Amino acid sequence: MEIKFENVSYIYNHRTPLSKQALKNINIEFKKDKINGIVGGSGSGKSTLVQLINAILVPTYGKVRIGRFTNQNGKKIKNVNKLRFDVGLIFQFPEEQFFNNTVKKEIIFGMKYFKYQTNNIDKRCSDALKMVELDDSYLERNPFSLSGGEQRKIAIASVLAFNPKVIILDEPTIGLDSGSKNNLIKLIKMLKNKYNKTIIVISHDVDMLHKISDYIFVLDKGEIVLEGTKYEIFSQPDVLDKYGIKCPKIMDFSNMVLLKKGIKIGYRDDIMDLMKDIYRYVK
Amino acid sequence: MDDIVIIKDLNFKYDNKLIFSRFDLEIKRGSFTTIVGPNGSGKSTLIKIILGLIRVNSYINIDQSLLCNDNLKTIRRKIGVVFENPDNQFVAETVMDDIAFSLENMKYNKVEIRKRIEKFTRYLGIYHLLEREPYSLSGGEKQLVALASALVIEPKILILDEALTMVDREVKEKTYKILQELHKTDNLTIINITHDLEDSLYGEEIVVIDRGQVILKGPKELVLEEEKVFNNIGIDLPFMASLSIKLKYYGLVDKIILDMDEMVDLLWK
Repeated sequence: MEIKFENVSYIYNHRTPLSKQALKNINIEFKKDKINGIVGGSGSGKSTLVQLINAILVPTYGKVRIGRFTNQNGKKIKNVNKLRFDVGLIFQFPEEQFFNNTVKKEIIFGMKYFKYQTNNIDKRCSDALKMVELDDSYLERNPFSLSGGEQRKIAIASVLAFNPKVIILDEPTIGLDSGSKNNLIKLIKMLKNKYNKTIIVISHDVDMLHKISDYIFVLDKGEIVLEGTKYEIFSQPDVLDKYGIKCPKIMDFSNMVLLKKGIKIGYRDDIMDLMKDIYRYVK
Repeated sequence: MDDIVIIKDLNFKYDNKLIFSRFDLEIKRGSFTTIVGPNGSGKSTLIKIILGLIRVNSYINIDQSLLCNDNLKTIRRKIGVVFENPDNQFVAETVMDDIAFSLENMKYNKVEIRKRIEKFTRYLGIYHLLEREPYSLSGGEKQLVALASALVIEPKILILDEALTMVDREVKEKTYKILQELHKTDNLTIINITHDLEDSLYGEEIVVIDRGQVILKGPKELVLEEEKVFNNIGIDLPFMASLSIKLKYYGLVDKIILDMDEMVDLLWK
């Protein structure tokens, strides 16, 4: 599904003394069927940006095109729920919003509340669980008794139940230990590869974004200041430094070798590959 | 140096689940210890036990006094704690009043309160937030406010429970450097509880907890060599430790080197 920002600005409390510009003239297009990372410091406008995609917010100026919908000031989207079925948004710490005593009720709640049309609500529920690699034995379990990583998966499943084409995740791995984190990263990649979802991940964790993203946007003070593949982005430590963003450790190393010794050892995703490169250069 | 925290033979069950069994731990006075373990290993329960929020029958000694009803108040005044979710700790309508809260309870005079708040908020770079409402802050800012609240009481022990998870990496590095300074100048004992081993590099000692037991303990350079132990409990080693172990295997270095600068210089002499 196409997601395109055309000259989008967003101002909170517009035309009041409290007005605050959160986004300035954004022109971007997210990559279809890819994992798009958005990185930026606190207050850079990351959360505002994604809330424009599923029309929780309406742009002050400009348009956001989301498939057949257009989110634009003064033109109300008819049947905004349909848009939200297409674009699933998973907030930070989603497990804090649980309130049912079984996983099944938790997943079904959203479908009923938004009057989602489906012939077989039970099947949709198990399918969603399957997509996050949990079996039906979880259906009757209490979500509050699950581990942090499992709770996160249930929250994702309750959005997958709507069969969205786009999934937006706000800090999906925050607060998880590295085991659960790596597991969730694998899962998000699988949602892209196996189910062809377009994915947008917001985070300040550059190491996680490096592992997960195909394409990255850098936000600073409400403006897109850089976009490109992770190699294009993270090979510019000086530029990123201006925006208060660090490089992932593994790319930091290559950057430092280049800076200190003038040797280009190249960029690697895996530490074993990096080690082999070092071996070749040093021996 | 003596031990500022001593826990002996701790046994604790919750919901019929064994959290700690025959658990022993000593923390040296003036040390900077990272306690690491997977989610659900009992790390947060341990703090609640140290603070006397969960009562147990085991021997617990904090700064040379036994943890019991009579000493509870004195002991708690020596400990500053920052939990992961600062929303649970806010009590007042402005950041200023919030940080002042514990000092007012401890009956400090207004001048002293003002002085300490200014000192620590300037340190942490949040002085400009003093008039703001705590709930209007970003996650990272909230965590720094909670840290300031813990530091103004000038505790002997600072306990951080996943306290900087929402702070941007750059600010996090700065904050850890400030804590290292306080640790050195004021002999502040720091206990940093986390599941991100990358953060252990700012400290000195590492204690690894799994299933209610201490499974590994020592100076970070030695503990971080135990790759297998960390693989088993599903915790990633810090990047530099992981790289060092691989380079050591191929004979390019002979020990764990945690500083990237030092490593690059050593490899390309």
